[in-house]
Amino acid sequence: MNENEISRRDFLKIGGLTAGALAGVASGTVTFRTLESAEAARLAAAAPQVKYTADVMCPAECGLAVRVDNGIASAIYGNPYCPMNAGAVCAKGASGLQMVYNPNRIKYPMIRVGERGEGKFKRVSWDEAIGYVADKLTAIKKKYGPESVIMDAGDITDRDTYWRLFFAFGTPHCTEHGSICDTPRRHGPRIMLGGKRIEPDIMRPLLVRQPDGSLKNDYTYKTRLIIYAGWNPFTATRIPYESRGTVEAKLAGAKIIVVDPALSNTASKADQWIPIRPGTDADLFAAMLRYILEQDNQNDPFRRYIDWSFEEYSQGWDDFLAAFKSWWDKKDPVNNLNYFSLEWAAQRTDISADKIAELAHTFGITKPAALIWGMNGTGHHYNGYLPSIIGTALNIITGNFDVPGGAIDTELTKSDKGGSSTGKQFLTRKVKRVVNGKEVEGEQDKLHMDYFGDWPSAWDDVVGDYPRRFMEGVTLQQGPFRGHRYPIKGYILRTGNSVITGSNTQEWVKALTMKEGNDYKVELVVYVDTPLLESGLYADVILPEASYLERMSLSDIYPSHPLIYLRDFVIDKQHESKTPYEIMQLLAKALIDRGDADVKAADFTEKYKKEEDFWDEALAGAPGKPNSGLVRPYPQYPEGYKILGTPESLEAGRVKVDAEKKEIKGEPVTVKWLRENHGIAVWPMSYYRYKGGGILKTGSKKVEFVFKAYDKYNKLIDESGSVPPALKELGWDRYPKSFYWFETKWNPYTNPAYAKYKDEFPFQVITGRIHHAMSGTQSVDWLGRIRSEDLWYPLNDDVTVDEVLVGSDGPKATGRKLRIPKGTWSVGVVQMNASDAARLKLNTGDLIELETPYGTKTRGKVNAVQTIRPGTLRIAFGGGGRFSPGLGWTYYFKDITPDANMLTDPRTLSPIMGQPGYCDILVKVKKV
Amino acid sequence: MTSESQRTTLAIEGRTEVARRNFLQKLAGAVVGGLLVPAVIGEVARAAPVAQPQPAEPLAEIPAVPAPSAGENPIVRMMEDLQRALKKPVEQRRWTMVVDLRKCLGCQGCTIACITENKLPPGIAYRPVITETTGTFPNVSRNFVPRPCMQCENPPCVGVCPVKATYRRPDGIVAVNYDQCIGCRYCITACPYSARSFDSGFFYHDLAGGVAQPYEALPSPEYKQARVRVQGDSPVGNARKCHFCIHRTEAGELPACVLSCFGKATYFGDRNDDRSLVAQLLSRANATRLKEELGTKPNVYYLA
Repeated sequence: MNENEISRRDFLKIGGLTAGALAGVASGTVTFRTLESAEAARLAAAAPQVKYTADVMCPAECGLAVRVDNGIASAIYGNPYCPMNAGAVCAKGASGLQMVYNPNRIKYPMIRVGERGEGKFKRVSWDEAIGYVADKLTAIKKKYGPESVIMDAGDITDRDTYWRLFFAFGTPHCTEHGSICDTPRRHGPRIMLGGKRIEPDIMRPLLVRQPDGSLKNDYTYKTRLIIYAGWNPFTATRIPYESRGTVEAKLAGAKIIVVDPALSNTASKADQWIPIRPGTDADLFAAMLRYILEQDNQNDPFRRYIDWSFEEYSQGWDDFLAAFKSWWDKKDPVNNLNYFSLEWAAQRTDISADKIAELAHTFGITKPAALIWGMNGTGHHYNGYLPSIIGTALNIITGNFDVPGGAIDTELTKSDKGGSSTGKQFLTRKVKRVVNGKEVEGEQDKLHMDYFGDWPSAWDDVVGDYPRRFMEGVTLQQGPFRGHRYPIKGYILRTGNSVITGSNTQEWVKALTMKEGNDYKVELVVYVDTPLLESGLYADVILPEASYLERMSLSDIYPSHPLIYLRDFVIDKQHESKTPYEIMQLLAKALIDRGDADVKAADFTEKYKKEEDFWDEALAGAPGKPNSGLVRPYPQYPEGYKILGTPESLEAGRVKVDAEKKEIKGEPVTVKWLRENHGIAVWPMSYYRYKGGGILKTGSKKVEFVFKAYDKYNKLIDESGSVPPALKELGWDRYPKSFYWFETKWNPYTNPAYAKYKDEFPFQVITGRIHHAMSGTQSVDWLGRIRSEDLWYPLNDDVTVDEVLVGSDGPKATGRKLRIPKGTWSVGVVQMNASDAARLKLNTGDLIELETPYGTKTRGKVNAVQTIRPGTLRIAFGGGGRFSPGLGWTYYFKDITPDANMLTDPRTLSPIMGQPGYCDILVKVKKV
Repeated sequence: MTSESQRTTLAIEGRTEVARRNFLQKLAGAVVGGLLVPAVIGEVARAAPVAQPQPAEPLAEIPAVPAPSAGENPIVRMMEDLQRALKKPVEQRRWTMVVDLRKCLGCQGCTIACITENKLPPGIAYRPVITETTGTFPNVSRNFVPRPCMQCENPPCVGVCPVKATYRRPDGIVAVNYDQCIGCRYCITACPYSARSFDSGFFYHDLAGGVAQPYEALPSPEYKQARVRVQGDSPVGNARKCHFCIHRTEAGELPACVLSCFGKATYFGDRNDDRSLVAQLLSRANATRLKEELGTKPNVYYLA
């Protein structure tokens, strides 16, 4: 063909382009990486490899089988050997390529050159960046003490290397997102069972010991009823097996009931959706418990709700019952009705009394069943402890705890990991401080700003209260160092984004930019991550961490029986990123070189010769569970002994049974063993694992209806005479002995003190999780093209923007223009009932402003739908106002998308764990 | 815009810059108002056309998971079904997909898994999931319908193709011969299920960064042709569609969407084999097909 002509075929192709207004196109001068044809041919010929690893696109951490073509990750599938996801991946899991190869990744270490928040950086070498951090840490430690430094390992759970280093450095403050996640939700299982997460028995397959001694996979579902309250496993996939498990169990005959103000995707597959008023889960659960207690009749098979066998493995029920019943005769000032009665609950929850009675009856009579409560429904309300405690009690007294088809506390059944690698042993080192002119000695962990400060019972740290401490400093109130004052001077944030997720955004910005003289009050802020999120804009030093396909660590999962898998090196590290292990070693060496007295070569550079050594140490305690329950996992070994080692060695009898330590010790699980076994180790299932103490982790090794877990905090208060401020706020002087009740805040329907806001601020705001696009993953193009529930929706305007990319010196305009046509890119929106929208003369797509009684505001576009109860607005947590260019296209819509944490009341932290009230928000709505 | 483009020097296999410029000028002339044109169309040379010998490749290994005590592993079962079907002559296979709508969670994992498997460009999804919400609060329902190509027995797309680039294989798969396709898009209009898309030549790096990302430069395994997608060459400018991942299935692997399905809602196999899972599912009373009245006879069934 003449090169100056265009063939008919080409012509038609060109015509096609005119119709291609699909998404957005760019103009401007760009450079391209070209692929030599020889290289292309080599790529085509190279045989693909499959590498097994663990996801971190979301906290579900599914087991993955990643296809690698010639060193490039080319497709992400589920690991079929992993029972968590059984070979499946969701949209987010499958789209990891665009996260790992994202053009907005942090490519090099950078040091800030502008003011904090300006986003002006310069590229530096690793030596320079690490040297800067080490110099600052050394100076802070010298001047203020190591306790002035916080290591916040953020949202991603493979934190062990960082914790080890900073515990060794001398600070007790190593935390992670758990503290701003859903701590009240975990509370009941924690104080009553020593656990954390009660989930339905729907992980399939289960590896079960057979009568003939063999191990086989059971794929059948025994559950008859699952109630999910404020829990949306289909989109908040912390527990991936609950997705397929719920629909499979339903087809196998289980009834599924979802209690949620919005029609979640989970609700859309349920037999019944109960659109409860936000923040009243405790009220519903309390009414269910009262109904079951009052209506139970052991002689009537249709009213035999309670399975009294629970008394064999519990203690303190009578105290709990007495405390619970003590409310029955009291009148609620809100409605003048008796607490926990059906009518009382109906008034408060906006669910009819009949429906509550039916729900309670259905739960009481249907066995096996599981009552599950979630992050949004309970974790994000001021009084979220209450549904967590009552829900735990309901599962126990109805005989559903750890029975086939019932409710399993997966914190108690998962494999142990970490062990000494996390460096917790450093916390018991003795340190000395001068307090009020007197030298005092105590253990390092007694310097903790929460446990020995204002939040003694907040065992997951109070990240939501960090801004206040950044600004005001810390005064210890409890323990040997009572009266010790210190400022917070160093904040190391790794894979977290506290500016957007750690309580009120403005408070965080204020705390990180507050000055003392010419310097910032918090003298050192370090940001370690793969994408550049908002918090990174406030950092002095940015370190590029290798993505999850480029580093090694272990899965952090909640299965029904112990299993663990490896996060492995799938591809080479991109750009100049380094793994957490490498960063630990570099910083350790830099501190050692500067003469740090606490960080020792023997604990770091000399201890681990390669990355595998570190993770082998972390695996040494796996699975660490007792040989308990029916069928006993290993009938050939003594009951109740702790199981250690590979499934293979335990099966083959290559073990040492230690009667003194009560251990069955097989060959240790190692990185090498996992790699030879599809990346995963699976140990057998059993039920009734509470028998003989078993998996329970309470002090009494029984289910505790009296809250002995609080004893140690009361002891601290006894010794110091200082009552924590949050307890005083409740009118308490000690932690309660058993059942307790208090109202949430910012709810005019349940707390009389807030009733006055009902008319002026008529909407309750709740947050939802847009699974497809939480936080950093909003930069993934594929996820921007799809929608999720009614929260993540293509309501973008038609815009032409100047492209900004994270380059070697931070975010920078590329000179290209991007056009993003209307309706082609999903953004966080404000989900509103259509009748509310009609009343306010609002249409889908209208920009509105939400304002709280304390004057905080955010903006977003209305999505007027039928899928949420009137009077309630739902916005996606982390789904808007995203002002870091590292977010890709999401960034261009920062002014039309709502940031829920602009609304969060920074002064309302829930009283026991200090969790921000992400779902306790009242607003008025104004069209913009 | 055009001048910007013209300034960019490109040396692409078999083409001069002059030809390139002409191409772009024609293109610019055809542009509708308001649409910005990619600055440079295509920077990645495609691999030399690879002859497609068909070596007797070993079939994929079926995961060696523990034997079932009760129930079954659907992946193992379907892979066994698949590998049994592959032993039969191709014309005796009838590849069929069954989607249990009661189990589809709307996660859209299938959509993305398909995109990554087939290296699809921006704007093309072979298997979108359609969400339908109906009713008035509180009586509301939301349903999800994954929509692959129906691989019709009477495919309306095949008859309208002027160059016979789209055709029905003996095993029932409706395929596209990219080298034959002239991109007229009659088939796209003809398909009653909107299951066909036009490859307009966009790349992800047009939308962010301007620099080709590694995964974009990988060859697509479609039709076992190992094509690296480049501007000006097939499949750019062609009609594209779901093909049940025949490059996978003929190697004994399940289609990307089936393997990935988070709700285990999608099944695949040979309907002509009575022992296959899909054949057994089709015997259920709740099996339906989309737009049955058109007489297209889809090979995709839904359980509702």
